[in-house]
Amino acid sequence: MTALTNVVSSVLMLVGALFCLLAGVGVLRFPDAICRLHAAAKAQTLGVVLILLGTELQVSVKFAWALLLVAVFQLITVPVTGQVVGRTAYRTGEIYRPGLVMDELADRLAADARRESGEPAEPREDAQERGNG
Amino acid sequence: MTLRYLVQPLWLLLLWLMLWGSVSAVVLIGGLAVVIAVRAAFRMPAVDLRVTLRPLRLIGLFWHLLIQLVSSATSVAWAAIRHGGHVPAAVMEVPLEEDSDVIIAATVFFTAMSPGSLVLEIDRERRVLYVHGLPAGTRAEAERRRRSVRQAERATVSALKEAPKEAPK
Repeated sequence: MTALTNVVSSVLMLVGALFCLLAGVGVLRFPDAICRLHAAAKAQTLGVVLILLGTELQVSVKFAWALLLVAVFQLITVPVTGQVVGRTAYRTGEIYRPGLVMDELADRLAADARRESGEPAEPREDAQERGNG
Repeated sequence: MTLRYLVQPLWLLLLWLMLWGSVSAVVLIGGLAVVIAVRAAFRMPAVDLRVTLRPLRLIGLFWHLLIQLVSSATSVAWAAIRHGGHVPAAVMEVPLEEDSDVIIAATVFFTAMSPGSLVLEIDRERRVLYVHGLPAGTRAEAERRRRSVRQAERATVSALKEAPKEAPK
């Protein structure tokens, strides 16, 4: 039984470590802040959760609860950081435009800016039909 | 009504007990004191909880979430190896159908977990999400991601159904 637990938890931890490593590769290789966020938000989270699961099997119940909390908070904070950092990165121009197939947020922001500056209202073009210029 | 006010203190107390990993008189009383102090120091606005929880579907949703997390981690890890610095991405506009803070927040959460998408901007007034998709090499692929976000919204709605608004007096 202990041998089995040991095997399961080492597999979980090694796979978790692999995902953390790949997240690091993503952070290094991706072209801009938002793409890097993808690596940090997904691969890294799964890596940490798997490592925590592997650890759960090795510790007493008393500590297992605290580890569970770490996993839960990891999961619920990731979407928030992703959105806040992503929004800031986008608005400060930290985005690699040549890599974008389409950008409907830019179209929307341009349309809003036009309206605010009081220029003659032109009919709203369908954002989906336009390329990213 | 009363339940709505008890949810937050009970959750804080549970959190405290989990941190200590034991239930003894000292921990319990200390926890109650901390909960009262936290409630007094950080007054949170009341959440508009006009939703009905469907526990079975919620469990199904969480199971789905874990599978999504595994597949999204795999897809982004593969993109890091396969594409690296030349990864194609797209920013898509996704209109939402629901008009509830809770459901929109939950949809954003599930979108962040689903493969290859990250919410960049929430336009609450227009009920539109702007989602960054990666990898998204073609328009067809971007459309597929757009559909998956809408699917996440539908799944959320099926687990948290909003109660009908009160009739005007």
